Amino acid sequence: MLRGRSGLFGRGLSAQERRLGLSFSLPATVVFLVVLAYPIFENFRSGFYDLDLVGKNPAWVGFDNFIEITQDQKLWRSLGNTLTWTIGSLVGQLGLGLAAALLIDRPWPGMRWVRQLLLMPYVVPVIASALVWQWMLDGNYGIISTEFQAWGLLPFGASPLGQESTSLLTVIIINVWRGFPFAMLVYWASLQSIDQAQYEAAMVDGANAVQRFLHITLPNLASVTLSLIAVRGLFTLMYFELIWLTTRGGPAGSSDVMSTYLYRVIMGEFRLGYAAAIAVTVGLFLLAVVVIFQLGRRLAARR
Amino acid sequence: MSGAALRPAGSRRRTPGQIVGSVLGALATLALVLFAIFPQLWMLISSLRPATELFISPPTLFPSSFTLDWYIEAFAGSNAVRWFANSLIVAVATSLISSAVGALAGYALARFVYPGRKLFMVLLTSAYLFPAILLLMPLYLMLANYRLVGTLPAIVLAHLVITLPLSTWLMKSFIEGIPRELEEAALVDGCGPFGAFMRVTFPLLRTGLATTLLFSFILSWDEYLFASTLSNGSTATVPVGIQTFISSFDVRWGAIMALGSLVTIPVVVLFVFLQRYFEKGITAGGVKG
Repeated sequence: MLRGRSGLFGRGLSAQERRLGLSFSLPATVVFLVVLAYPIFENFRSGFYDLDLVGKNPAWVGFDNFIEITQDQKLWRSLGNTLTWTIGSLVGQLGLGLAAALLIDRPWPGMRWVRQLLLMPYVVPVIASALVWQWMLDGNYGIISTEFQAWGLLPFGASPLGQESTSLLTVIIINVWRGFPFAMLVYWASLQSIDQAQYEAAMVDGANAVQRFLHITLPNLASVTLSLIAVRGLFTLMYFELIWLTTRGGPAGSSDVMSTYLYRVIMGEFRLGYAAAIAVTVGLFLLAVVVIFQLGRRLAARR
Repeated sequence: MSGAALRPAGSRRRTPGQIVGSVLGALATLALVLFAIFPQLWMLISSLRPATELFISPPTLFPSSFTLDWYIEAFAGSNAVRWFANSLIVAVATSLISSAVGALAGYALARFVYPGRKLFMVLLTSAYLFPAILLLMPLYLMLANYRLVGTLPAIVLAHLVITLPLSTWLMKSFIEGIPRELEEAALVDGCGPFGAFMRVTFPLLRTGLATTLLFSFILSWDEYLFASTLSNGSTATVPVGIQTFISSFDVRWGAIMALGSLVTIPVVVLFVFLQRYFEKGITAGGVKG
């Protein structure tokens, strides 16, 4: 990089290349600085103030907001729900995604159309998905809820989204439905890249289908699984829309996760300083997770 | 169906076990497809049902007649036309800006070695992984400072944070797929770097550009969180507008299903035409949502 800097204003093709590289990256950099980096920087400052939407003179409160985090019962409850939500969603999405990938990885005619249909939950706008699931689960007229009521699984007139005992599980299932096609497509793409010679060699050695799956397919999918866990996990941890649009974190906080809790602190209570403190804490935690994950990956690669 | 076995590497003749396996596989695939598409079908069916059939318990699977009443109600009693116009403006503006800026940045990343390249990649990845909900408050405050809250440009700006990392990433991978030698040949023939890009690389990038436009359009069209907090009554997009139907006293499910179908249809149509690129896009860049 030093070599590049020294030749930045020189003549010749490589100096020109460096100038072009910089200037082509400039518009995107400006967007990120203005709409991402600057607000995040301001967010750090806000965490130390008592700040609301109407307050003219925000008061400096030091670490008070961060101390409040440690005593916030609702926040800690939402943290537990967040872990359940994330782990449940990931296990479901990756599990069902892998099963679906194995199913569509057959040389049958029409599989392109099957793939297309299976991708639908992922393609449909989240607002439409959230609303139709709410409708299907409606306590009085919903096709799923009324069926469950007939089987005696649900009290009459109730929706699984409206029961404290089942609301979180239900949004997790909806999220599995919505996210499994992504895992399916990624798994399917990496199934295609497994060397067929490995399977042929195993068949010659007399390995049955289960053995071939355990000893060839699964090990070949290990690294892509790790990537899926990292990317989807990071995304699911603070995913807001689906839960907000189906349960709003309720009833009685039973499906409240960090993202919906944070949203209510901002848009419901207007406690912006406290919200900033939560955002900073969560952001630093996520950063730590990413750094540890990257270090682990590098160490594993070195071995 | 000659290759029904999972890996038809051995003999062509199928054992009874393989046939049972194939039948089970087909049944499982069918069940999975039903699981995947039933909600969308149900949304469409519900939107076309007369009210007398929509609100009965238990519901029937197949409607006895179809009606467009809910669509008429959805538009007659609301600003739905406005919402669709807003959504279209925001999504088109976002995807155009995002693809243009992303194409430039992707080109730089794919072709040039320059100071700060690595830092830019880190910025890009961070922006991609950064949870929108954590950005909500500071972004809102910043836009409020410039009196932009409630305007369409504010929503476009917010959507750029979501779409730009992906646009850049996609364009980078598409540009890397074009042999560098082609450009170098153009350079030798006397084109400048810009001319080489416009005459050689750009025409080959058309599918890549279409994919990138499509992706950013869909992401922006679907987005709810920023659109709902940064808009007001007259700048609401469709996802935000539909919500107003549900917060009212009685929930008008028929009209909601009608609007839900209408917001879904453009996305599905785009997807059906561009499936190949869509799949490539997901496996190349990964998408949120």
